[in-house]
Amino acid sequence: MNVKAEKVQLKYGKDFALKDISFELSGEKIYGLLGRNGAGKTSLLSILASFREPSSGTITINGDIPFENAKVMQQVAFLYNKDYKEESDNVIDMLEDIQRYRPNFDKNYAEYLVDRFKLDRKKPIKKFSKGMQSSLNVIMGLASRAPVTIFDEVYLGMDAPSRDIFYRELLEDQGKHPRIIIMSTHLVSEMDYLFDEVMIINQGTILLQEEIDKLLAKGATITGNEDLVNDFASNKKQINMQELGTTKSVTIYGELSDDEREAALESGLDLAPVSLHELFIHLTEEEN
Amino acid sequence: MKQTRIFPKVALDMFVIQLVWTGGFLGIMFLINIVKLIIAGVQGNEVEGYFNTIFIAGNIYMLIIGLLSIHFLSHYVGNGVTRKDYFIGSFLASIGIAIILPIFTILISSLEKFVLNLANISTKVQTINEVDIDENIIGDIVQSILISPYIDPQNNWMMAISLLALNLYINYLMGWLISSSFYRFDVMAGIGFILIALNFKMLKDTLLRISLDLPVPGWFSWLDFLPSGMALIGVFIIILVTVWFIRLLTKRIAIKM
Repeated sequence: MNVKAEKVQLKYGKDFALKDISFELSGEKIYGLLGRNGAGKTSLLSILASFREPSSGTITINGDIPFENAKVMQQVAFLYNKDYKEESDNVIDMLEDIQRYRPNFDKNYAEYLVDRFKLDRKKPIKKFSKGMQSSLNVIMGLASRAPVTIFDEVYLGMDAPSRDIFYRELLEDQGKHPRIIIMSTHLVSEMDYLFDEVMIINQGTILLQEEIDKLLAKGATITGNEDLVNDFASNKKQINMQELGTTKSVTIYGELSDDEREAALESGLDLAPVSLHELFIHLTEEEN
Repeated sequence: MKQTRIFPKVALDMFVIQLVWTGGFLGIMFLINIVKLIIAGVQGNEVEGYFNTIFIAGNIYMLIIGLLSIHFLSHYVGNGVTRKDYFIGSFLASIGIAIILPIFTILISSLEKFVLNLANISTKVQTINEVDIDENIIGDIVQSILISPYIDPQNNWMMAISLLALNLYINYLMGWLISSSFYRFDVMAGIGFILIALNFKMLKDTLLRISLDLPVPGWFSWLDFLPSGMALIGVFIIILVTVWFIRLLTKRIAIKM
C-alpha cells in the first residue's frame, strides 16, 4: 500500500486548515500523526477517508484518488470520536452491519474484542459511556482490517486499562495482519512505543516525517556549565533551554556525530536522550 | 479482482430499515383507526376508512422519513461506501417503500371494509378532491402538503394505489431534497430549498389533477390548458428534476463529523 499527498490544501472560507501538505506513506507500518489542537490533523485524515475533497492538490492511495472511488474507499477505515447518541442498535447488530461493507472484516475477532473490552452485547450503543463507545470504535477499526486504517484520537474517554488493551491488541493484530495504520494523538508519551514512523503537523503544514528511531536520535539534551553548553550548542538548532544558576540545559534538534558526542562527554557535559513527547512540545512550540 | 456492486446492499439495507419504520407507522395508524371506529360506532356516526387515514397521514410520514434519509449518508461513507452508491441505494429503497406502503394500506383497508360490512357499518363518502380553496397562502401551503389528488380505491383500486404511491413518493423526495440542502448549505439556503420543494409538490398536484380531470385550484391553475397526457409527463419530469437536484447536492458533499 502507498498513500501519497501532493500539495494538498484545504480552505474553510478564507482560512486555510491545510496549507501545503506533501508526504508519502509506504509500507505497512503504524504512523503517528502528532499535532496540537487545530493543527489540521482531522482535516487531513478526513480527506484521506474521502469525507471531503481537498481545495487543491491530490491524495492518492496506490495511485488512485480515493474520493468517490468505490474500490479504494472500501480499503480505508476512518474511526473518530463519533457521536452515538441516536444509535439504538446494539454492538452485535452494528458489527454485522459493518461486516456487509468491509471486505476484510473478521467477525470472530470482533466478537473476541467485544469480550476483551467487556462491552454489553445487548445494550443499545447510545446508552454506552463515552469510553465504551470509544472501545466500539477501536473494535470496528481493528476488526475491519482495512489496508489503510485511521484512528483519529479514538481513545477519548477510554480509561487506562482499556487504552492498554487497545495498544496491546493493535500491536498483536498488526503483527498478524500488517497494514497502514495512522494514529493521531495528543497522548504522545503513552503511545510513542506504538509508532514506526512519526509525522508532526503544525498550522496546516507537515513539520517533519521521520522513522521514530531516527527522529529520537536527532534530539538530545545537553546539561552542564553554562559556558560549555553555550559553546557546544551554538551551531545547533536549539528547541528548548533551561537555566539554574550557572548550570544550563539545552535541548537540541539535529544529528550529533560520534565525535561530537565524545567531545561533549570529555568536556564534562551530560548528554541525555529526548522523548518524543518533549520533541513534539518543543518543536511545535518553537514554530508557534 | 472483480468489484462487487455495493448499491444493491445499500438499497436492501435502507429498504429493510424503512420497512420496519413503515410497519410501525401502519400499525399505529391501524390502532388509531380502530379507536376511531369504536368511537364512531358508539356515537352512531359514519366512519373514516383506513385507506383515507393513510392517504393524509402517509404524506407527513413519507416527508419525515425522507428528511431522515440524509442521515444514512455519513454512516455509509464512514463504512467506505461512495456517495453515488448511497444515492442509488437510497433512491431504489425509497421507490420500494412508496410502492409497498399503499399495497399494505389497501390490504388492511380491504380487511377493514370486509369487517365493517359484516357489522353493517357504513363508511364516510370522501370529499378529499373537493377541498375549499381560498386565496390564503398559508392555507394553500398546508393543504398542498396534506392533500393530494385522490381516487377512491372502491372505484379503481389499481389507480388508487398508483396515485397514493406517487403522492407518497413525492413527499419522500421533498424531505430528502430539503434535508440534503440543509446538510450541504446553511439554514438560509435550506429555507430556499423548502420553498422550491413546496412549489414542486404543488406543481405535481396541479399536473396530476389535470391528468385525472379533477378540479384544478391553486397557484398553478393556469396550467389547466395542458392535455392530460402532457400533464402526466410533467409529473415524471418533476420527479426526475427533484432526484437530479438531490444527486447534485450530495455528489461531492463533505461528511459532517
